[in-house]
Amino acid sequence: MISQFFILSSKGDPLIYKDFRGDSGGRDVAELFYRKLTGLPGDESPVVMHHDDRHFIHIRHSGLYLVATTSENISPFSLLELLSRLATLLGDYCGSLGEATISRNVALVYELLDEVLDYGYVQTTSTEVLRNFIQTEAVVSKPFSLFDLSSVGLFGAETQQSKVAPSSAASRPVLSSRSDQSQKNEVFLDVVERLSVLIASNGSLLKVDVQGEIRLKSFLPSGSEMRIGLTEEFCVGKSELRGYGPGIRVDEVSFHSSVYLDEFESHRILRLQPPQGELTVMRYQLSDDLPSPLPFRLFPSVQWDRGSGSPVVTLMKMGCGFPGTDCSLLPCSQALNVRLHLPLPRGVVSLSQELSSPEQKAELGEGALRWDLPRVQGGSQLSGLFQMDVPGLPGPPGQGPSASAPLGLGPASLSFELPRHTCSGLQVRFLRLAFRPCGNANPHKWVRHLSHSDAYVIRI
Amino acid sequence: MTDSKYFTTTKKGEIFELKAELNSDKKEKKKEAVKKVIASMTVGKDVSALFPDVVNCMQTDNLELKKLVYLYLMNYAKSQPDMAIMAVNTFVKDCEDPNPLIRALAVRTMGCIRVDKITEYLCEPLRKCLKDEDPYVRKTAAVCVAKLHDINAQLVEDQGFLDTLKDLISDSNPMVVANAVAALSEIAESHPSSNLLDLNPQSINKLLTALNECTEWGQIFILDCLANYTPKDDREAQSICERVTPRLSHANSAVVLSAVKVLMKFMEMLSKDLDYYGTLLKKLAPPLVTLLSAEPELQYVALRNINLIVQKRPEVLKHEMKVFFVKYNDPIYVKLEKLDIMIRLASQANIAQVLAELKEYATEVDVDFVRKAVRAIGRCAIKVEQSAERCVSTLLDLIQTKVNYVVQEAIVVIKDIFRKYPNKYESVIATLCENLDSLDEPEARAAMIWIVGEYAERIDNADELLESFLEGFHDESTQVQLQLLTAIVKLFLKKPTETQELVQQVLSLATQDSDNPDLRDRGYIYWRLLSTDPVAAKEVVLAEKPLISEETDLIEPTLLDELICYIGTLASVYHKPPSAFVEGGRGVVHKSLPPRTASSESTESPETAPAGAPPGEQLDAVPTQGDLLGDLLNLDLGPPVSGPPLAASAVQMGAVDLLGGGLDSLIGAPSFVAPPAAAVPANLGAPMGSGLSDLFDLTSGVGTLSGSYVAPKAVWLPAMKAKGLEISGTFTRQAGTISMDLQLTNKALQVMTDFAIQFNRNSFGLAPAAPLQVHAPLSPTQTVEISLPLSTAGSVMKTEPLNSLQVAVKNNIDVFYFSTLYPLHILFVEDGKMDRQMFLATWKDIPNENEAQFQIRDCPLNAEAVSSRLQSSNIFTVARRNVEGQDMLYQSLKLTNGIWVLAELRIQPGNPSFTVRRPLPPKAPGPLPSCPHACPGWGRPWWGGVGWGIHPGVKKHQDSDLRKLQLSPIKCLR
Repeated sequence: MISQFFILSSKGDPLIYKDFRGDSGGRDVAELFYRKLTGLPGDESPVVMHHDDRHFIHIRHSGLYLVATTSENISPFSLLELLSRLATLLGDYCGSLGEATISRNVALVYELLDEVLDYGYVQTTSTEVLRNFIQTEAVVSKPFSLFDLSSVGLFGAETQQSKVAPSSAASRPVLSSRSDQSQKNEVFLDVVERLSVLIASNGSLLKVDVQGEIRLKSFLPSGSEMRIGLTEEFCVGKSELRGYGPGIRVDEVSFHSSVYLDEFESHRILRLQPPQGELTVMRYQLSDDLPSPLPFRLFPSVQWDRGSGSPVVTLMKMGCGFPGTDCSLLPCSQALNVRLHLPLPRGVVSLSQELSSPEQKAELGEGALRWDLPRVQGGSQLSGLFQMDVPGLPGPPGQGPSASAPLGLGPASLSFELPRHTCSGLQVRFLRLAFRPCGNANPHKWVRHLSHSDAYVIRI
Repeated sequence: MTDSKYFTTTKKGEIFELKAELNSDKKEKKKEAVKKVIASMTVGKDVSALFPDVVNCMQTDNLELKKLVYLYLMNYAKSQPDMAIMAVNTFVKDCEDPNPLIRALAVRTMGCIRVDKITEYLCEPLRKCLKDEDPYVRKTAAVCVAKLHDINAQLVEDQGFLDTLKDLISDSNPMVVANAVAALSEIAESHPSSNLLDLNPQSINKLLTALNECTEWGQIFILDCLANYTPKDDREAQSICERVTPRLSHANSAVVLSAVKVLMKFMEMLSKDLDYYGTLLKKLAPPLVTLLSAEPELQYVALRNINLIVQKRPEVLKHEMKVFFVKYNDPIYVKLEKLDIMIRLASQANIAQVLAELKEYATEVDVDFVRKAVRAIGRCAIKVEQSAERCVSTLLDLIQTKVNYVVQEAIVVIKDIFRKYPNKYESVIATLCENLDSLDEPEARAAMIWIVGEYAERIDNADELLESFLEGFHDESTQVQLQLLTAIVKLFLKKPTETQELVQQVLSLATQDSDNPDLRDRGYIYWRLLSTDPVAAKEVVLAEKPLISEETDLIEPTLLDELICYIGTLASVYHKPPSAFVEGGRGVVHKSLPPRTASSESTESPETAPAGAPPGEQLDAVPTQGDLLGDLLNLDLGPPVSGPPLAASAVQMGAVDLLGGGLDSLIGAPSFVAPPAAAVPANLGAPMGSGLSDLFDLTSGVGTLSGSYVAPKAVWLPAMKAKGLEISGTFTRQAGTISMDLQLTNKALQVMTDFAIQFNRNSFGLAPAAPLQVHAPLSPTQTVEISLPLSTAGSVMKTEPLNSLQVAVKNNIDVFYFSTLYPLHILFVEDGKMDRQMFLATWKDIPNENEAQFQIRDCPLNAEAVSSRLQSSNIFTVARRNVEGQDMLYQSLKLTNGIWVLAELRIQPGNPSFTVRRPLPPKAPGPLPSCPHACPGWGRPWWGGVGWGIHPGVKKHQDSDLRKLQLSPIKCLR
C-alpha cells in the first residue's frame, strides 16, 4: 500500500505531492528523500531506501524523480512497475514527461493519480480504462503541426540520437479526448534491438545477447485494426527453421495482449487492435547464436616495456562487420555515434594518437580514453594508434616488452547506433491499417529499425 | 493559456483575486480559479483561507470542476473540520447521483477526508454504494471500507461492513473481488482474531477463478493473499500451483514474483520424488532470468530475491550461471549482487568459467568491485575443493600485479584458504612475504601475521618478519596487535631457542604498555601458560584448529525460511524479517514454510525441518512475542496482538488460543490446555460448548488414581502420512509422573520394527525418560499400547504455541514427524498449594496488567465440588470465603518449571449466574474490564481434565439463564 507519491524535479523541488493514507509526515518527506538520495554512499543501492519506518522507492525518468513511499512490507516490484507505468501514462496524457509539462498540467496529474491509485491500492494503469474517467484536458506548450516532422526521432529507444534530436511529433499527448481527429492519424512502428556482447582477450566470443522489441505508438482511434508483417523466415526456438535461406531465429518471443496470432504461424503476420498510446507489440530475445556477423570487431594490441620512460602503445583496429552495401532489403548502412571507451591505468599523463580519418576524435577524460567516430561506413576498416605515458607504472612481469595489457587498461567498450539495421535480421515487411478515417488523408505510417549497443565489451 | 502562470509568486491581493474568481458566475472562470488554487496548493502555499469559496463551487454538474473541488477538499478538510461539515450534504447527495462516476467520486473522497464527524455521515451512502449496480462504484466502496476502518474500526464492525465486504469476494466483477481482497487483507492484519479472510478450499477456488480475469494489479493482491493460505495436503498444493504457474509468464514483474512466492512456499509441501516437482523447478528459472534484462532498479530487486531462492533451492538456477556475469555498465550495486550469486551457484561443473570471469573482474577499475572479486575467488576455493589449486594460482597471478589493494585482498583470502586446507599451499608463502611492505590495511596485515605465525617453522626468517612488525606495535590496530601477540607466541613454541627475547618483548608490550583489556588479558594468559607449563601451552596454542566451513555468509535457515515467505516484498530486499523494519509491529506476523506432508528425506532432522505438524494445526502466522522468559516474567496479559486468519477447525482454534497471547492464555485459564482430544470432540460425548457437563459429569474421572483427567486418545499421526503407521495417544499425569500413552497401529502390509522416538526442544523441557520400547515386531493390523514416561529435564525452547510438542518417530521404514499439543495440567505439580500468607502477599504484588479474567458458563457444581475436582488435577484451593452469598475460591498451582499461577474463582451457589469482580483494588467493584473481545480459542477449551466452556469476553451479566462460573484475575509469578 503506497503511502505517498511525489514527483521531484532533478533539483529536488516537489512538483506533485499526493498523500494517500493520511498517516505520514507531510511534505517534509519529499525533502527527506532528496537528502537521503544525494547523501547515499556509492556502493549502496538507491533502489530501496528507508528512513525509520518509511521506505522510498523511486525511478528516474526524463530528469524527474518519481517516488513512492510506503510503511509496509509490500512488493517493491509492484512499486517499480507502477512508477514506470505512471511515467508512461503521464507521457501519454501530457505529451512528453518533463518538469515543464508536469507543472503545466498539475490538475490533470492529480486526476490521473486519483484514478490510478485509491488509498494506495493500484486500481488500473490501462489507458483504455482511464480514458473513461479522465476529464481534464492536457495543456500543450505549442500546437502540433505536421510540418514539424522533419526531425522525427525515435521515441522508444533511449539513444543518443533521440536525446540530440527530440521529436515533437512523438511528444504530444496521445490521449486528448476532444481535440480534432484530423491530425491524429499517425502510427509509429519501431524495431529496436539492444546488443550485449562480450569478447575475450583472445578474440573468442563469450556471450552475445540481443534483446529486441517492436514498439508501436499509435495516434489512431483505439481499436482500429492493423496488421504487421514480419520477415517470413522468422522462427522461434532452436529447432524450428523455415525457408531455404538462413533463418531469422530468436529464442523467445512474447506478445502484447492485444495481438492476435492467428496469422502468425502461417504468414508471420501480427494482427492487432492497439489502444492509443505507446505499447510494446512484441518482445524477443536471442542469445549466443547470431545470424549475422558482429557489427564491430576490435583487434587491440598492446605493447609496453619495463622502465618508466617508455610509453604504453595501444593499436586498435576496428573492422565493421555490418554490410556496407546493400545485401538485404535495407539500403547501405552506417553506424552513428560510435564511441570506444577504454579505461586506462592510473596516472596516465599524456596521449598521442594517430587516427585513420580526420573526423574522428580521441581524448582523455576520467581515467579513460574516449575515441569518437561520429559516422562509420559499413564494411570499412579503421584504426587508431595511441601512445600513453604512464609514469610510475610497474613494469610487466618478466623481462622485455610485453604484449599483455597492464593492469587498469581495458576492457574496451563500444557504444553505437545502427539505424536501419537489426542484428537478428528481423524486419517489418509491411504495416497495413484497416482503419480509414472519414474524409481525410491516409494515416501516416512510420516504420523504423534500429540496433544499438547495450554492453559491447572487448577485453584486452 | 497555460497553467504555468499559476505559479507566479503570491502578491498581496492574490487570495482576494482568487476569491472573486471563485465566486464568478462563469463556469470556465471558476474552473480556472480552482486550478490555480490547486497549483498553489501543490507548491506548498497555504490556500486554506479559500475553503468556503471552493466548497461553494462543489454543487455543479460539471464533472471536471467537481473533481478539482474534491481534490482541494481532501487536502484541507483535516485542518478545517468544521468547514468540512458544510460539504457533507453535497457528498451525500452525490452518492445518489445517477452518474456512477460521481457516485464513486463522492464515496472515494469522503473516505479520504479523515475527519471523525464526517464518518458518521459516510455510513449510509457507503452501505448503498457497496451494493451499487455499477462495479466501478462497488470497487471504490470496497476500498472505502478499508479507509473507514483505519479511521474508526469499531464503527465499521458495528455497521456490519465487514460482512458486506466478505460477500464482495464472490462478486461477478474481478476488479471488485481484487479490491475486496486487498481491503480485507489489510483489515485482517490490524485485526488478528477476526477470522476475516476465511481461506478454505471454496474461497480459494473463487480467488483462483478471479485471478484469471482481473487486472495485473488485482492479480498481485490475490496472489499475495493465496500465499497466506496453507493447503491441507500436497494434492491441494499441487492443484493450486498448477493454476498459479501461468502467471509466471506475465509481463508485470510484480505478478511474476508474487507467483514465485506462492510456488516456492507450496513446493515445500510437494514431495521431491514427484514428476511435477521437477517440472515446477524448471518453470521457475526462465521468469527469473527474464527479470535480469529489465532496468537496473528491477534487476537489483530481482537479484536480492534470486539470492534467497538460490540459497533455498540452488537447483532452480544451477544451469543459468551465464546470466549472472557482470556487464561493465551495470551499476555497482547490481554488480556486487551478481557476484554474490555467482559464488553461491559455483560448483565443480562451472568453476572454470566462473574463475575466468572473476579474474577479469579483478582487473577492472572499480576498487570496491575488484576487492569483492578477489574475495570471491577465495570463496570459490573454499567452496569447491577441486578448484582450490586453480584459485590459488589465480590469486598469485593477481598478487604479481602489485596493485596494492588487490594484493592485500588476496592475502586476506589466502589466509582463509590456509584455514580450509592447512599445510597444502605453503609454497605460496614466499610470494606473500615479498609483499609484506606494501600492506597497509589492518585486515591484510593481521592476515599476513597469522600466516607467518602459523607456518613459522617453514619460514626461515619468521622472527625477523615478526620483529619488524613489533617496532610499531603501538600504532597498529587492535586486530593486528592481537594477531602479532599470538603469532610470536606460536613462533616461540616452535623455535624456543632463538626467540625468547622476542616473546618477552611482545608480552611486556601487550601487558604493560597497553590499555586494551583484550590484548592485556590475552598477554597475561599466554605469559602464565608459558611460565607454568610450556607443554600445556603448546597444546593450547598450537592445537589443531577446526576447518572453516564451506559456505560462508549464508542466511540462517530459519530466517531464510521466513524470508522465502516474503519473496517479492521489501523484506526480501533488506534480507530482514518485516518485524525488523515495519512500524509498530502492525500486521507483522511470522510466517513459516508449510511442512512437507509426506517427508521422504530421512536426513531431515526435526530441528531443521519443522515438519510434522499436520496442516490443520499448521500455524503459519504467529504473533510476535518476546521470548519465553520475557513472557513469563512480564506476564503480558494484554489482548493478543495479532493472530492468523483462522480456519474453522477446532484444533486450530485451540492452538491459536495459546499463541494468541502467549502466556496470557496459559494463565487466563482453564482454556489453555488444548488437548489432543480436540481432534476428536465427538469422543467427549456432549458438545464442547456445554462444557460443564463434561467437566462435572465425568464423575468417574476417566478412572485414574490421582484423579487427574486423561483425555481420550487422539490420532496424532494418521496412517496415510506415515506409510501405514498410525499413532494415537494422550498425556497423563499419575502420582507425579508424566507419561505419554501411545497406541501404535500397523496399517501397512509389512512388519514394522526398530521403533525409536525423539522430541524436539519444547517450552517445558519435556523429553522421553526412557527409550520407546516395542518388544515384538509390529505385524500388519496389529496394535500395541505403550506408556512412555516423560521427564521435564530436556532442553527448553519456547514453542508456539507454548504447549506444542514436535515428535519424531522412527521405525524400519522411515522417520515420521508430527506435532501435538500437550495439556498443560500434566505439568501441574503435586506441591502446588501455596501458603496462605504467601498467597496473600503475592496476590497483592501482582500488577493489574498481569491479570486476566474469564467466565465459565453452565457450571452446575457447588464450591466444594469444584474445589475437589480441581484438586484432583493439582489445582489447589488455598482459601475460601463467602462474600455476600458468593463463594470465593482462591486457587494456586505450580508448573514443573516453578512458575506459580494464582486464581480467584467466584461462584454463586444456587444461582446459575456467577458474577465476576476484581479483588484488586479492594474497594468498590467497578465494572468489569472487558476481556479482549475476540480471543479465538476461548470457545472450546477444557481444563484440568474436564471441558469447561469459557465464554469469550464477559458480555452481559444479566442474562441469567446462563450459568456462569467465573474465574477472575488469575495471576502468575515466578
